[in-house]
Amino acid sequence: MTAISVTVNGTTHEVDVPPRLLLADLLRDELGLTGTKIGCAMGACGACTVLVDRDPVRSCLMFAVQAHRRSVRTVEDLAAQNGDLHPVQAALQAHHGLQCGYCTPGLLMAVTPLLEAGQPLDPDAVREAIGGNLCRCTGYETIVEAVVEASRR
Amino acid sequence: MTEWQAQAERRWAGRSVQRLEDPGMLTGATRYVTDVQLPRTLELAFVRSHAPSARILSIDLDPARAVAGVHAVLGPADVADIQPTVDILHLDGALKTPRFTLPGDRVRYVGEPVAAILADDRYTAEDGADAVTVELEPLGDDEPMYADIPGGRYFHQAAAHGDVDAAFARASHRIRRRLHVQRVVTSPLEGCGIIADYDAATGELTCYLSTQQPHLARAALAEAVGLPVSHVRIICPAMGGGFGGKEVMLPEYLCAAVAATRLRRPVRWVEDRSEALTAGAHGKEAEAELEAALDGDGRLLAMRSRFVSDTGAYSSGIGAYVEFMVGAFTVPGLYDLGGYAYDTGGVVTHKAPLSPFRGVGMTTSQTLREVLLDDAARALGIDRMELRRRNMVPDGPWRTVLGEEYEPGSWRTAFERALELIDYDRFLTRQSTAREQGRLLGIGVTPFVEAAGIGSAGGAGGLPGGSHDNATIAIDLSGRITVALPTFSHGQGHRTTAAQLVADIFGVDPEDVRVIDGDTARTPFGMGTFGSRSGVFIAGTVNRAGEVVRDKLLRVGEILLEAAREDLELVEGAVGVRGAPSRRIPLAAVAGAAHFAPHVRAELGDPTLTATAFFDPPRPTHSNGTIAATVDVDPDTGGVAIERIVVVEDCGTMVNPMIVEGQIRGGVAQGVGLALLERYVYDESGQPQTTTLAEYLLPRATDLPPIEIEHIETPSENGTGGIKGMAEGPASATPAAVICAVFDAIAPHGATIEELPLRPETIAAALAQS
Repeated sequence: MTAISVTVNGTTHEVDVPPRLLLADLLRDELGLTGTKIGCAMGACGACTVLVDRDPVRSCLMFAVQAHRRSVRTVEDLAAQNGDLHPVQAALQAHHGLQCGYCTPGLLMAVTPLLEAGQPLDPDAVREAIGGNLCRCTGYETIVEAVVEASRR
Repeated sequence: MTEWQAQAERRWAGRSVQRLEDPGMLTGATRYVTDVQLPRTLELAFVRSHAPSARILSIDLDPARAVAGVHAVLGPADVADIQPTVDILHLDGALKTPRFTLPGDRVRYVGEPVAAILADDRYTAEDGADAVTVELEPLGDDEPMYADIPGGRYFHQAAAHGDVDAAFARASHRIRRRLHVQRVVTSPLEGCGIIADYDAATGELTCYLSTQQPHLARAALAEAVGLPVSHVRIICPAMGGGFGGKEVMLPEYLCAAVAATRLRRPVRWVEDRSEALTAGAHGKEAEAELEAALDGDGRLLAMRSRFVSDTGAYSSGIGAYVEFMVGAFTVPGLYDLGGYAYDTGGVVTHKAPLSPFRGVGMTTSQTLREVLLDDAARALGIDRMELRRRNMVPDGPWRTVLGEEYEPGSWRTAFERALELIDYDRFLTRQSTAREQGRLLGIGVTPFVEAAGIGSAGGAGGLPGGSHDNATIAIDLSGRITVALPTFSHGQGHRTTAAQLVADIFGVDPEDVRVIDGDTARTPFGMGTFGSRSGVFIAGTVNRAGEVVRDKLLRVGEILLEAAREDLELVEGAVGVRGAPSRRIPLAAVAGAAHFAPHVRAELGDPTLTATAFFDPPRPTHSNGTIAATVDVDPDTGGVAIERIVVVEDCGTMVNPMIVEGQIRGGVAQGVGLALLERYVYDESGQPQTTTLAEYLLPRATDLPPIEIEHIETPSENGTGGIKGMAEGPASATPAAVICAVFDAIAPHGATIEELPLRPETIAAALAQS
């Protein structure tokens, strides 16, 4: 076991973890943040995307120990404290950009840094940005519309 | 039309109401099976066969027992009392392929479970699995997979309708087409999964299960492990996609159930991606051939088809039957055939068992037929759309050569509208200009019909597997309306559509309607979600149950308001006198009076404001549409860029157009995957070659164009308030549109391709040979 200190959604956790524990499993099993999903466990589907020090990272490709003294942000942190949805969450709902919802948390975290950069995005840029996030339900178009709209708010 | 439909303004049905499911999914609050955490849970990992066909000589589980953190192991002897599973269809002449949970004698495909390891966490369980030694003796090709199925063909059926031979004899043209439809993987983002939890005090086994069919899974699991059905509860909190792949009782589930019962601890198994790709829900693989007889004017006289499904090692659930039976029965589609003969069946092979996958059978028949019609048009020198016009059935009801009665549809109207939207004539001009410049543009246009919501009467050609459902509507003492459904949404937004329907019945808002599904203890019996049936059955059952409860509310209103029935209405969560907003009684007060006011209760006889209603449609609904696609094929690389996809769709009365369009877009995306990207590969020795998502390619955002959609509404006459099931038609017709477009693009080169999907290398090789 290795002692690590990791800040998740603003709260610092001191935990002992096996060296091989994936960040995704730390978040889900140890910290109870099950919003982050595991779709392939090999970095191909993007469902487990979280932000580590503000950059999108596949939490299935990162060991928990690698998050030592770093800051992780997950889907649970996107909506406001009062429950109001983040603009991109609201846009996904308005555009029917989710069906089963399993890819949605990773997709949200993949686009969050782009949206927080504050630049309006065009559809091609969004398609490129989510090119690493698999969705089996929607055909992506409504996701693209939603993210474009959220970027122009 | 029911009374409430006549009276009520349909305030909610027909509107693109935002989904009630979404906030939980968007915030990470929605729990899927993998998110359920029970104390003291043991994790399961499986030792799997690495050989496609072998005798098991020995399994040494002791090294796994020695791994710290491993609590128990299961070998074949430990699960010998679990009943083998067999396919559930009863067809004359069908040979069964019993599947033992952990077969002790032999393995039949790579990935087949051989032993199970239970440990504190998945990491340790996999350590245990890695430590197990399995000694296998490879079996030769001459060793039959099942002693009583020589040659592996477990089912075969052939029949002719109309005078097919005479039609072929007098035809001036006979066109034949062969296609090998590739093996694919259903690939929902969430894998299969179970958490089994046994209560030793009550003898009840609760299973959190990712299943499309909670009640059928309950029965199958109970039978296999020898419990009364009443002692098994299936809970599916939410499901991350299914697409047909979550309808089978897996050996992994049975191991978890038995282990939880014996160890008195919750046991969890969640399929990882490598398991899903190696041993999970594969779909579709078939060898298919179609021959058409035409006269000199391009009129179809008859067709003959042949389908052989590559079923894999076991015929499980309804397995490959739906592939090769639906495939054979849906060949006529929207064309007027004087005669049709089919020859269909399945063979077992050393591959993972075939599961249903969205567009079962229809995808193969649609692709084969539409490709053949294009071949015929080219051979006869007739425009491809004109050939279809000469043979399509007229709008309205139709009886096919197989005797299937189609509901009225907009078959031709949808087809012509799609041609307008894709601007067919202008495309042809652009295409010929492009050809002069060496560019390969192509167009494919394919009309489809989808039979959905099949009741006990069965489907085309007498295909068994009909179904029926119930729904319960209850109003509690706080006046809140709860609907309990046996269907289970895995992305289709059932909670929203059901709430819209119920809101209209009771004069409330959809947010005021609580919808429960995915729990056998809280929902009445029904068959679950598959075959585009849920909209049909939800509407059929909810309308009927709603009518009974509504009638009771109005009866209470008559008593309390001393008003005549015809003067009462349900509005804004109250029973009231029409046109007199001051004379309204909120539903909570109505429920209270029904329970506690003696004179009201005496009048009602039964104070509960609850009804369960049954629905079994007399025949399937038939939605229809047309998909049109244009492509630009790179003559050097064979790469296909899809320019446009147009969908004209008619699913009758839409409850939520936004959700309908979501089903269309998602179906089209899956269709593009089948046409161009996805293929599961075994090498010649039976070893899987595409075991990760780096090798098995799913469509990504950059692979798809925007999808243009237009609706026509021809209401169903089937007792559903006009609704027709629709989620598989666009999925099953898109491969045909894209493939026809590619074949059109490369037609001037005379290249013929029989292997799907149309990968760049396949196309480039065909162009190089021509």
